[in-house]
Amino acid sequence: MNLTVNGVATSVESAPLTSLLDVLREELGITSPKAGCEQGGCGACTVLVDGEARRSCLTPVAAVDGAAITTVEGLGSPEHLAPIQQAFTHHYAAQCGFCTSGMMMAAQAYLDDGGNDDHEAIQDALGGHVCRCTGYVKIIDAVAAAARGESFDLSVTAAGTSMTNLGGVS
Amino acid sequence: MAVKTGRGFAAIEYPTGMNQNGDPSQAWIKVKPDGRIDVFAGTSDIGNGSKTIQSQIVAETIGVPYEWITYDNSNTDSSPVCTGTFASRATFVAGKAAEKAAENVRQKILEIAGKELEIDPADLEIIDGEVIAKGAPQKKISVPDVAAAATWTYGELITGTGAQLKPFATIVEPATGKVDLPPHSAISYASCSAEVEVDDETGVVTVKRLWQCYDVGKSINPTLVEGQIEGGAVQGLGLGVLENCYPYYPSVEHRGSSFGSYLAPGMEDLPQIDTIIIENPSADGPYGAKGIGEMANNAQPPAIASAVFDAVGVWVTELPITPERVLRALQAKAEPARDGKTVVFDAALSVNTVSTGITFGAAA
Amino acid sequence: MKAVGARVPRYDGVAHVTGHTMFVDDLKIPGALWAKAFRSPVHNAGMSNLDTSKAEAMPGVHVITWNDVPLLEYGHLSALGIPADEPLLAKDEVRYLGQPIAIVAAPSEEAAMAAVAAITADFDERPALFDVRKAFDADAPQIHAEGNWYRHFEDEMDRRQIRKGNIDEAFDKADLIVQGVYRPAAIEHAPIETQVCQVVPEANGRLTIYSCTQALYFSMGVVAAHLQLPLNKLKVVGGTVGGGFGGKVDTATETLCALLAQKSGKPVRWRWTREEEFLCSSTRAPWHMEIADAVTKDGWILGRKMLTLHDSGAYARFSPYGLTKHSFHHTGAYSIPNLEFDGYVVYTNRTPTTAMRGFGVTSVSFATETHMSRIALELGIDPYELRLKNANRVGDTSPNQIAYTDPSTVPTILAIADAVGHDLTPEYKAMTPGPRSGALLPEHLVGQLGNPEDH
Repeated sequence: MNLTVNGVATSVESAPLTSLLDVLREELGITSPKAGCEQGGCGACTVLVDGEARRSCLTPVAAVDGAAITTVEGLGSPEHLAPIQQAFTHHYAAQCGFCTSGMMMAAQAYLDDGGNDDHEAIQDALGGHVCRCTGYVKIIDAVAAAARGESFDLSVTAAGTSMTNLGGVS
Repeated sequence: MAVKTGRGFAAIEYPTGMNQNGDPSQAWIKVKPDGRIDVFAGTSDIGNGSKTIQSQIVAETIGVPYEWITYDNSNTDSSPVCTGTFASRATFVAGKAAEKAAENVRQKILEIAGKELEIDPADLEIIDGEVIAKGAPQKKISVPDVAAAATWTYGELITGTGAQLKPFATIVEPATGKVDLPPHSAISYASCSAEVEVDDETGVVTVKRLWQCYDVGKSINPTLVEGQIEGGAVQGLGLGVLENCYPYYPSVEHRGSSFGSYLAPGMEDLPQIDTIIIENPSADGPYGAKGIGEMANNAQPPAIASAVFDAVGVWVTELPITPERVLRALQAKAEPARDGKTVVFDAALSVNTVSTGITFGAAA
Repeated sequence: MKAVGARVPRYDGVAHVTGHTMFVDDLKIPGALWAKAFRSPVHNAGMSNLDTSKAEAMPGVHVITWNDVPLLEYGHLSALGIPADEPLLAKDEVRYLGQPIAIVAAPSEEAAMAAVAAITADFDERPALFDVRKAFDADAPQIHAEGNWYRHFEDEMDRRQIRKGNIDEAFDKADLIVQGVYRPAAIEHAPIETQVCQVVPEANGRLTIYSCTQALYFSMGVVAAHLQLPLNKLKVVGGTVGGGFGGKVDTATETLCALLAQKSGKPVRWRWTREEEFLCSSTRAPWHMEIADAVTKDGWILGRKMLTLHDSGAYARFSPYGLTKHSFHHTGAYSIPNLEFDGYVVYTNRTPTTAMRGFGVTSVSFATETHMSRIALELGIDPYELRLKNANRVGDTSPNQIAYTDPSTVPTILAIADAVGHDLTPEYKAMTPGPRSGALLPEHLVGQLGNPEDH
């Protein structure tokens, strides 16, 4: 089988029913999509297949023969971060980082589809992704900021919108 | 047949460090020939951001930019002991060890700078990577130059080590629990008000809003503190209304085996979260910090339980507060048993009802 | 200050968003074998005729059982006096569904699953115990070597006990006694990264353990103890964890993979499935708590009686530690001078419970705070004012008689009252956490004051 992975034409040796996740991680060494559950329940394996967000753990590679696959590695690099990567960095949307790749790919698909900064629309698009660390607040803030086309100062992280510091109070 | 609103409140406290102490953390630091700083510590970063926090503490304590710090917690050959990332100890205990190591490094840098500048190290300070004479800023030498001098003039390796260990607090009277020392490194405090909507037809409890106040001693990194608070709020919500390994506890039947059958909170469960931080410094923590990591998920469940009562007049004291439990409570309309000056709630759940081997209560 | 207090970006932030952060399973080790577990299918049973021969006959398969473990039982908190009670692999009995009995390593995941399927054993089922309240019944099945609850607190006491002041007097003097029951559930840590490790046997006889542990040295100590090795024979590599919340301290995979790496001479990789994570990993403990508070009609909490049953699951693990911490905080944020607390670590035939975010105190906060709200309603007193009045102040003492030096309960309560628009009288709004005096120092609190200078 053949895939184009992050712009590179790649031939695949794995058996046809191998999950796209395993093809990416085990055969091709692309480790950004994670095996969070392999049940389709957490979203950590999400990649783009011809631009559409798909759970690679549930996708047999034969089903996507010939498709263009995009993973985080194809979004941007440390030297050239894509807007969604900048947004996640500036808004502290990643704590342990394990759900981050899948979350960003789904967010990228949402943005590519013209998604706006409405929090409910973002929750609708990303609601099937489980994050255990962040409580989702800053993930939603990050996606909304990216949707607004903001530019990000990566030397600092954004203050939460409903936090007050009273300093020393006795 | 209505959605009722209710509010509930909880005020909590939580210890920093392992209970009874005796949990060491250590750090060691070396300075590269160009003044960049390498920190070795054994603290796992589980997402809480301990790599970041300890780097900030080291940078601040030595007096160099944060970007000069390299932090290595990767393995037990190069990193010294850290008991572990739990008990809300990563900032306080492990961070304190890093601070101590950094202070040692700072002293050595000042010593060598003192030799180079021919000034008493006590009259020098380090600001932003430069060693400067107090009150005479034109007399200075950069930390990179100090490091170079150490390496190629004096033949010295600039290092610092730090270890933090609060002595073990022994229970000196097992019959009473009396201890000989404070059994914690610090105590943190928090309060929470929860606003819920309860649909009295379906029993569904929706947490609409959480107001929380945390005393963190010192926000070493305010954004990371917010991250702990927000993440903790959602885990507390999960504990309060959604999650249960054993839906028919104590039976082990129907244990969920996927994210479809085990209800971890999702984005749709997110309430509005408003947070206030206060900073009453701890006596011994790095820069006055206290722990925050665990406490963040403790106040929500009781605040929610009280809010549910406020909304629909029933107490559900078994967690999670599921729609089924709310509906059964509404059906039962159980009143506490009143006998003289004693009022007894939840009698059906008590050992006094269920057990033949143990009792509890005012009469026990 | 420049760095402290600043919103500097995460040290590993860019790595997280570019897929560069290396988690344990992202490391590709050529030739690594896949590990899988043969686990107990029953809750409580004698086990005999464990037969791994068919699995061992499969090409490239290695199997370990209890017989391969140099030290089969090691108490992870034996340094705290909690004796070992749990075999690394089951020997002649199983006490919870999912308990590991044998671990295989095979050249592929499929081969490992086939090897597990080829292992057999006979199980002689016994009555199981699931309800901690029934553990004390005379006719309860005895499900642990030492009975149904832990018996090794100091002085070999079978409970964690807190006593302070004169509880009978408090209950005598009270205007009202309020009693209730609180039962928070077992929940999963459910980090997005499941339990995982890879172990490489090095040419010089060392074992390199790539681990998701939250505690590099703690886990190293556990492996060293089971394998009877000095610490320099092990190198634990990690420190970057995909979420833990207390569930990655148990060292669930490292020792077993280390044994397989030694036995096979090959690297061994074990990544738990999400199903395994949900059904077999240790959980937050369920707790059963009963509180009876002696209160005055003007809102003083004179005394507290409390019974806690801590559902430890099949083995003790960290439960005695968690119960002790729970007991030290059973008065919550308040100064209650007369106390009678009894807590038990109770065994049941479920997955052993472990630490999770707030271990021991999450449960007690739920119980005591819900209880305070009930007291406020029974007395007709504002729930904030009830708490402010009884809140810890400088010089008040804890359940175990340590004086508080800097409690912040009062300011956090006032801050929330202000934020939500909850009206308080001027007297309450002006409260501080300073030492008690005047109306805030009733007679019954005088005796419990301590000296914050002592610490």
